[in-house]
Amino acid sequence: MSVSTARPVAPVTAAPPPTVRGKRRSSPLATVLLLLGAVYALFPVVWVLIAASKSSGELFSTFTLAPSTHLLDNIGDLSAYRDGLYWRWMANTALYAGVGGAASTVVSAMAGFALAKYDFPGKRFVFNVILAGVLVPGVILAIPQYLLLAKVGLTNTYWSVLLPSMITPYGIYLCRIFAAAAVPTEVLEAARIDGAGDWRTLARVVLPMMRAGLVTVFLFQFVAIWNNFMLPYIMLGDDHLYPLTVGLNGLLNQGASQPAMYITVVTGALISIIPLVALFLGLQRYWRVDLGAGAVKA
Amino acid sequence: MTVSTRTPRTASRRGRRAGAPYSFLAPALILFTLFMAAPIAYAGYLSLRRVKISGLGLGAGARTEVWAGLSNYARSLSDPDFLPSVYRVGLYGLIVVPAMLGLALLMALLLDAGRTRVGTFSRTSIFLPYAVPAVVGSLLWGFLYLPRVSPVTDVLGKLGVTAPDVLTGNWTLWAVANIAVWGGTGFNMIVIYTSLRAIPTDLFEAARLDGASDKQIAFRIKIPIVTPSLIMTFVFSLIATLQVFAEPMTLKPLSNTISSTWTPLMKVYRDAFVRNDVYSAAATSVVIAVATFAVSFGFLKLVGNRAFNQEDA
Amino acid sequence: MKKTFAGVLATALLMTGAACSSSDDSDGGTPKPGEKVELTYWTWAPNMDKVVDGWNTAHPDIHVTVNKQDGGDPAVTKLLTAIKAGSGAPDVMQAEYQKIPTLVSANALADIAKESGGLKSKFPESAWTAVTLGGEALYGVPQDSGPMMFYYRTDVFAKLGLSAPKTWDDYAAAARRIHTADQKQYLGTFSANDPGWFAGLAQQAGASWWGVDGDTWSVAINDAATQKVANYWGGLVQEGAIDNKPMYTPEWNAALNDGTQVGWLSSVWGPGVLEGNAASTKGKWKAALLPQWDAAAPANGNWGGSATSVTTQSKHKAQAAEFIAWLNTDPAGIKALAGTANVYPAAVDSSAALTAPPAFLSDQSDFYTVAAEAAKITKPFTYGPDVNVAYSAYNDAFGKAAASKKSADFPAALATMQQTTVDDMKNTGFKIAG
Repeated sequence: MSVSTARPVAPVTAAPPPTVRGKRRSSPLATVLLLLGAVYALFPVVWVLIAASKSSGELFSTFTLAPSTHLLDNIGDLSAYRDGLYWRWMANTALYAGVGGAASTVVSAMAGFALAKYDFPGKRFVFNVILAGVLVPGVILAIPQYLLLAKVGLTNTYWSVLLPSMITPYGIYLCRIFAAAAVPTEVLEAARIDGAGDWRTLARVVLPMMRAGLVTVFLFQFVAIWNNFMLPYIMLGDDHLYPLTVGLNGLLNQGASQPAMYITVVTGALISIIPLVALFLGLQRYWRVDLGAGAVKA
Repeated sequence: MTVSTRTPRTASRRGRRAGAPYSFLAPALILFTLFMAAPIAYAGYLSLRRVKISGLGLGAGARTEVWAGLSNYARSLSDPDFLPSVYRVGLYGLIVVPAMLGLALLMALLLDAGRTRVGTFSRTSIFLPYAVPAVVGSLLWGFLYLPRVSPVTDVLGKLGVTAPDVLTGNWTLWAVANIAVWGGTGFNMIVIYTSLRAIPTDLFEAARLDGASDKQIAFRIKIPIVTPSLIMTFVFSLIATLQVFAEPMTLKPLSNTISSTWTPLMKVYRDAFVRNDVYSAAATSVVIAVATFAVSFGFLKLVGNRAFNQEDA
Repeated sequence: MKKTFAGVLATALLMTGAACSSSDDSDGGTPKPGEKVELTYWTWAPNMDKVVDGWNTAHPDIHVTVNKQDGGDPAVTKLLTAIKAGSGAPDVMQAEYQKIPTLVSANALADIAKESGGLKSKFPESAWTAVTLGGEALYGVPQDSGPMMFYYRTDVFAKLGLSAPKTWDDYAAAARRIHTADQKQYLGTFSANDPGWFAGLAQQAGASWWGVDGDTWSVAINDAATQKVANYWGGLVQEGAIDNKPMYTPEWNAALNDGTQVGWLSSVWGPGVLEGNAASTKGKWKAALLPQWDAAAPANGNWGGSATSVTTQSKHKAQAAEFIAWLNTDPAGIKALAGTANVYPAAVDSSAALTAPPAFLSDQSDFYTVAAEAAKITKPFTYGPDVNVAYSAYNDAFGKAAASKKSADFPAALATMQQTTVDDMKNTGFKIAG
């Protein structure tokens, strides 16, 4: 058991004290079931790792789970593809996900805080409208977004991917829960009595209290943008602006008269997962979302 | 982004608290209006338009856009492929949502019970697929499904069992569902696990001292407490399920069974991107959006859940 | 948090500069003499940026930037969206022949008859018809063509005492023979994923799926010639003599590698695909003309091939036409197309650029002689303004038929394809005969 990470799990600063659960006799059944789950989850990932070690001749001719020794060659080929375009895609993806994630977190935090802690006319309406936004699939939005951005000449620029990524109804929804749970009304009252303005209170009191939750929202949006395909696919024409998903898709679908670059794609897919895995492992304690937090408290 | 210039100086005269929430909401509302509301409204507009051809339809001015009334909707709803695709997604949801949430709940309860040494490893591993884009995940599973390149077929073949070709016939739905379950279980597990960890220990320590088993504690105490979380994961999973797109789209070139209208969103994609008919695509989009809306809010009404609209603490 | 926010703003501001500098693709009106013109070129042919480097060095006044696309379909989708939006299209666009009516119908391609009409004599008539649509206007200059060819494993054929099939009856007999000798082996597969492949086979049989009479279109997808082709393949699939799985899948690649797919009805660009997907079988393949319906009157079809066009949003039509003429008719351009971009140039006098056979078939010294013969006997074929609709109907209808493995489903699928195409054209308002 991971006692060390058994911290208060809801991103709630004012939550009950940490519930440290004592060490208990281990159950073989639980261990077996959890390991089965892990194997199921890891199996395709292990497959990519093995496939990425094969030469392109071996990929389709040797036993699927037999590893080979060409991983470094494949990475070399991938890097050499059109003068290192792949790494440009990686940098673009990091830019889209990093800047888009950060901006959307700030936007969501402000909106979520306002919705959780203020009473104002139209509040319910605003919240419901934003919530309805959670339901709209990206495929449906992509074309009208493109047509509208084209009218102001922003398509095929970094902005065309960044700006639409800055709004996330789901992030606002989460921030509202986090703010409701993490920021006690008394603290706000105290700040008000001390004469602090709303902006000052937000910056000095509220955001620090919501920090854990904000990191979670950032991570969510970061992953969502990192994995997004449809928006950049339709917005971008210049492949120097592509993120990884669109770039790899292009390598795979070269049309009938070109061979698909499977090995390059497989190697590229493997490398593209690594930053996210690092992010998971490094920030693991932030990966907790208590969707029912408010309801549990009530 | 006039964030720093809008100091509460002017607002304070009219009462600081009145203006602040609006200025906090302003960036979100502006972005929402520009990049969600306006495109949706535009899609609604497009759904009422169509193209009119004059002559052979070649060259400049041969194509003009005219009002179409509701004809795009009539065509979209009367398309013989549309209803089957809706049923298919319904069936797909019946497979994916219970399987994914059931697995997620089971794994979360096992982790929370803490009776194993492999907790951290398993938790991280099961969460890992969340980091894999749906397109890449589907590609990986596609390799694992195709009989000639699949290690599963190899291994089963050596044991004398002929593995079914899962990208043919009725297997296909299960093959696609498996990818969704694989990709979504970890995320939902973390959500449920987080809720479980928030339960104060004393709530079930007493029961344990009374001799209740882990299973009894799970069913009588833990699951009822995390029900709000389960309902929310259910709603979000349901929404994701109705929007299934990337997985079948990626598998489509590998299979004769997956048509270009296999799910409603694939039909939108086909109309917009393959047939270049944004008008029909917009009409189908509006139908899907309204249906998703009705299903999710209908469900929340049904269970009387207040999590969506929980009031301030 | 404030710091982060300032950071975001700063990054955003920095990027405005970057974004602006990268977005002014086609700004500016008619250039003053001596002023440098910037053109963008959307293409998916490999190494086209290197081909264009040759132009850029020789023509300092007209600078062409290649934006590599993901292939013919995505490029067309993007172009049509850009046209609809009123901005964002490139100056020059690689367009597959079958997409030209669609693009012209959307007013995406500029008429360059005035600038490039004189190039007519440099191209075979079938290619020139594809860019004029049989009228006075000129919507591009032929870039590359894709006459179909048949590739087969010489080792397998030799072992069974077979020779390259001259007729489709020979092909069917060879397919049965190969599959009987080894149940795992197939001479080919019926691919419901590749409408262009099926269209090429129908073209060889004498079909022309669309036609124009005055201001009326006709659709003849379900004609006798195509029915003959559909029935032929339906029969082979039903008896199991050939496979029913799509091409271009990992499984198909594996089958090419491990020798369970021993033939491929492909096109002149086939060797490049085989080299990329089945490098281990190098030296075992040979190219031949497609099997014939009537050996006395050999015919062929096209799979692939594209033109280079100027878009209606280009503000530098004359310069774009100049570049296109260089690319497709200048000896240096043709040489680069053939040698660097690895396409089969459409120009008639491309033989100088095509001497050595492709590396994958390095033993077959007569490869380009066979290819030239294949190109010469290619039948005329007219594409319509909704090829995309017909092609996606092919995917769905023939996907079902291939999965069912019933020969009766193949002609039925063809009827569905015809019906879907006609319905779409009627619905859009085209006048249709019959």
